[in-house]
Amino acid sequence: MNHVITIAKREITSLFYSPIAYVVLAMFALGTSLLFFSQFAPSAPASLQRTFEGIVWLMVLLLPGISMRLISDEFHSGTIELLMTSPLSDTQLVIGKWLGAMGFFVTLLVPTLVLVGVLEFFGSPDYGPLVTGYIGLLLVGGFYLAIGTFASAISQNQIISYMLTVFIICLFTFVIFLLSRASFIPPALQQAMQFMFVNGHFKDFGKGILDLTRIIYFVSGMVLFLFLAVKLVESKRWR
Amino acid sequence: MIHVQNLVKWYGPTRAVNDISFDVPKGQIVGFLGPNGAGKSTTLRMLTGYLPPTSGLATIAGFDSLKESDKARRQIGYLPESTPLYLEMRVEEFLHFRGKLMDMSRPDRVKAIDYVSDRCGLSQIRTRVMGQLSKGNRQRVGIAQALLHDPQVLILDEPTSGLDPVQIGAVRQLIGELKGKHTILLSSHILPEIEKTADRVIIIAAGEIKADGSPAELRQRVGQGASVLVQVKASSESVNKVFSGVQGVESVQVEAQGDWTKAIIKPTPPGSSQDSTSASSALGVDDGDLRERLGQAIVTNAWAIREMRNETASLEQSFIQITADQSQVTNEAVA
Repeated sequence: MNHVITIAKREITSLFYSPIAYVVLAMFALGTSLLFFSQFAPSAPASLQRTFEGIVWLMVLLLPGISMRLISDEFHSGTIELLMTSPLSDTQLVIGKWLGAMGFFVTLLVPTLVLVGVLEFFGSPDYGPLVTGYIGLLLVGGFYLAIGTFASAISQNQIISYMLTVFIICLFTFVIFLLSRASFIPPALQQAMQFMFVNGHFKDFGKGILDLTRIIYFVSGMVLFLFLAVKLVESKRWR
Repeated sequence: MIHVQNLVKWYGPTRAVNDISFDVPKGQIVGFLGPNGAGKSTTLRMLTGYLPPTSGLATIAGFDSLKESDKARRQIGYLPESTPLYLEMRVEEFLHFRGKLMDMSRPDRVKAIDYVSDRCGLSQIRTRVMGQLSKGNRQRVGIAQALLHDPQVLILDEPTSGLDPVQIGAVRQLIGELKGKHTILLSSHILPEIEKTADRVIIIAAGEIKADGSPAELRQRVGQGASVLVQVKASSESVNKVFSGVQGVESVQVEAQGDWTKAIIKPTPPGSSQDSTSASSALGVDDGDLRERLGQAIVTNAWAIREMRNETASLEQSFIQITADQSQVTNEAVA
């Protein structure tokens, strides 16, 4: 566990040294503000529900920017050799990396608390949905970053990692969103596809509902991709 | 301390390391010498547990590098080829990170970092960002991180590549100072590099051990490969006749150039049956150098001389030579 934290800490620090982090940070702040103020009106409900749903779409493009370098950069610079010859397991490495990225994601979310302040100032928001909304964002973020960790273990090239992450995330979002509306897909299959739809699962969190099946959906998604990432890192040794 | 037995590594269809076996006793400095792509790094990587061997066994301080990888890794300080570092980190920050991965407590780390900074000359640059360091300083940091947890075994993959002569000298001196405290395995593709620091040299080419012995033995082998080039004012026939009669000469190749004759004289390889004396004299008396005796022959015949020099074998040539008559040396090593 200590090793996981050591890796995570180093990852967060090094993220803050990289220019891409600030680009993501700025775009995220700008995006969330735009989403918020486009719906900010005297008669609108004092909630972040719509903003949160927008953020989930925004994350499709921005979170892969955080995760793209996680493992690919280690292979690119050769530092992976130092890690893999330390008493550190591949699982510890992968989880540490992912946790580091999560730490950065939390930093991304902190500025959005200003929006909560704005709501508090102009109205009386219901804090239940706000809390569950943030929990939902963390779950979606964890899932996306797990996909990103996996993709960053595939290639030494950060751009390829980024594109691959976006592509996989799109399978769980845009592709399902569009296909589940297509008339040639049988309704049973459409329903099944709906179950894979990230934004569909997130909706409840924004409304203030904590549904166990939804939590399980995200957690199992994280576990699956982190497991695949570990296997990928392991397999690198054998090639 | 290091035990390697029948180590084999295939990269897909390519065989990088073919059946390598050797042992390194505690405290010895062993130089791994070979051209690029010979399988040096692959072998070292298998020892450190970075790569699993296709077959065979490597143990470090008694721990299997594959099955007891975790324990084996703790015994090793490793400097990978090309010294990968996190360029955005500061030296001290990085050393703390390495120490944490080695499960060192904070006071231990502080002490160890002070010690290695002192040892590797990092005191001035401890708070510098590594991306701004010169190649030589990065190399020092690389060695420092390998030393940090006071490992029994140090594995340094090309610790001097890309450094200038002064820095090479400094690294060599550092390795010399570490002698005795650690068992050291270092690799290089430059012969003089290794022969000055190592107690023993293992030459590896095409994934196989071609020679294994002390630098003195090796130097002798390489020296023996060198032929002597002489230009004298005499007929090519007489030159051929006289030089062929000199002790320790195996063959003479002559080329007439007007009044002058250019001769390339090849010495007898050591230990060959036809003259046992040259082998013994090679060790002590005149280092197997033919020039003294050739000079005498020239003086006796009162020839005018324009040139005489050793055609020193390049490392590649000596590899070819050592590869060609590898049998004796490798047998010595195995025995």
